Amino acid sequence: MPLKLEGIRFAYPGREVLKGVETEVDDGEIRVVFGPNGSGKSTLLKIVAGLLTPHDGRVVVGDRDVTHLPPERRNVGYVPQDPSLFPHLTVEENIRYSERHGRGGEELFERLVDMLDLEDHLDLKPSELSGGYATRVALARALFSEPEVVLLDEPLSDVDLAAKAEIVPEMREVLKDFGAPTLYVTHDPWEAERMGDTFEVMVNGRTVRVSDVEEALEVLRTGGAEVARG
Amino acid sequence: MKVDRGLLVESLFPPLFFLLVVWPLVALVLDVRPSGIIKAIGDPYFWSAVVNSVLCAAAAALMGVAMAIGFGYYHLFKRRSPLYRVADFLNDLPIALPHTVAGLALLLAFGRKYFWWLGENGLAFTLVAVVLAMFFVSYPLAARTVQAAVEELGTDLVDVARTLGDEPGEAYLRVVVPAIKEGLLGGALLSFSRSLSEFAAVIMFGGNVPGKTQVLASYVFARVEAGDFDVAVAASVFCMILAVSVIALVRSLSGEFTRAAETGGDTVRVSG
Ligand SMILES: Nc1ncnc2c1ncn2[C@@H]1O[C@H](COP(=O)(O)OP(=O)(O)OP(=O)(O)O)[C@@H](O)[C@H]1O
Ligand SMILES: [Mg+2]
Repeated sequence: MPLKLEGIRFAYPGREVLKGVETEVDDGEIRVVFGPNGSGKSTLLKIVAGLLTPHDGRVVVGDRDVTHLPPERRNVGYVPQDPSLFPHLTVEENIRYSERHGRGGEELFERLVDMLDLEDHLDLKPSELSGGYATRVALARALFSEPEVVLLDEPLSDVDLAAKAEIVPEMREVLKDFGAPTLYVTHDPWEAERMGDTFEVMVNGRTVRVSDVEEALEVLRTGGAEVARG
Repeated sequence: MKVDRGLLVESLFPPLFFLLVVWPLVALVLDVRPSGIIKAIGDPYFWSAVVNSVLCAAAAALMGVAMAIGFGYYHLFKRRSPLYRVADFLNDLPIALPHTVAGLALLLAFGRKYFWWLGENGLAFTLVAVVLAMFFVSYPLAARTVQAAVEELGTDLVDVARTLGDEPGEAYLRVVVPAIKEGLLGGALLSFSRSLSEFAAVIMFGGNVPGKTQVLASYVFARVEAGDFDVAVAASVFCMILAVSVIALVRSLSGEFTRAAETGGDTVRVSG
């Protein structure tokens, strides 16, 4: 079910961060979101997840307006900027966390473990994982909950280049196979190029659609001067 | 000649520290007499004071941590609520409030006036009163420890748990509480040690009945009053050993934190 954001506005005390974000992401589409530090990318994902409530605007999934639903009633898969695995649970328990809320299932579990190559890690604790595997587990945990929307906030920022080269195609395949609309925040053009279907840049509290990574970098370089005026 | 203020600070600290902090403890140890130790060991009231101190402090610490877990929930999810603000403010109160006042307040609140139906003096002058007095003065320490641990943990874990279907309370109990278990243990030990040391509130509300509600702190007081100085000193040194052990345990638990602070401090060492 497509994700639609309509006129999203949000301010932290004394600081307006989002000034009317408009965008639409289709089923199975991976939308890469670029933007300078502090431009509000994480804030936007938290609004979609229901962790923050926008001061104005609507979050619509399919034809359901979820703007005022709490996160536990939204069905959103969220990987925050830090993988944030539950430290006291094993990898398997982390992945199956949403099981008690009736989400997931054996078949999905097997598929995720298989696709993300986690068989040998299931009994480990998060502290025993490398950055790359922590990210895989965080992704598996999010997807196991059968989300209608997937939100990934710089999921590979702690992962070294070699591991990235391995994970990116894998992740893309899993997300494509999964088929939910995905917002993927990153600062890394290399990663964006290989991960994204469509691209967007956050400038001046709004998002600007661009056709490719090159154009995104151009918008970033000029600070979105011309687009913001238009 | 120009006075080196840094050097002045550095050279003033050691003598003052030894005189005002270390010397009293040393003086206490120097005064230990075998006769005092033997009399204390042979005194059943000493042993009942030890048992009362340890058990009541343990009960107060457990209560303190349980309450602190509740406070932590409010810190995480209801920080703007008036209840949280009041609770947060009151956590600093026992620092400034004379503990005799705390004891008197407890006596009035849980004594004959409102709790006559529980007994002649309400809850006053029972072991329950001792526990409540210890709890009143030590709970804020547990609450502060849990608050710091929750703050340190950040919101990401809870955020993820919420998106996975947990309501706030579920996310708190399933994720936050297990993730801060060191903080909980630290809070328990701190409030245990604070409870061991409490005298004024305990004596006002719990009384000082030998063999019944007397704790180590009041036992020492009673022995001094009775002129049994050698027993008082022996019991005091026992308290000191107990306190040092508990504090050492607290420190070793927060060892990682302390070690990080130490290595940080080492990088700006003053050359001699
Ligand atoms: N809890 C908060 N309270 C107040 N201000 C905040 C809070 N969280 C973020 N901000 C501010 O809001 C702005 C947007 O933050 P956000 O984290 O959404 O940016 P970002 O685009 O994700 O940045 P980065 O690329 O560094 O992750 C920043 O200026 C930040 O300082
Ligand atoms: Mg961010």
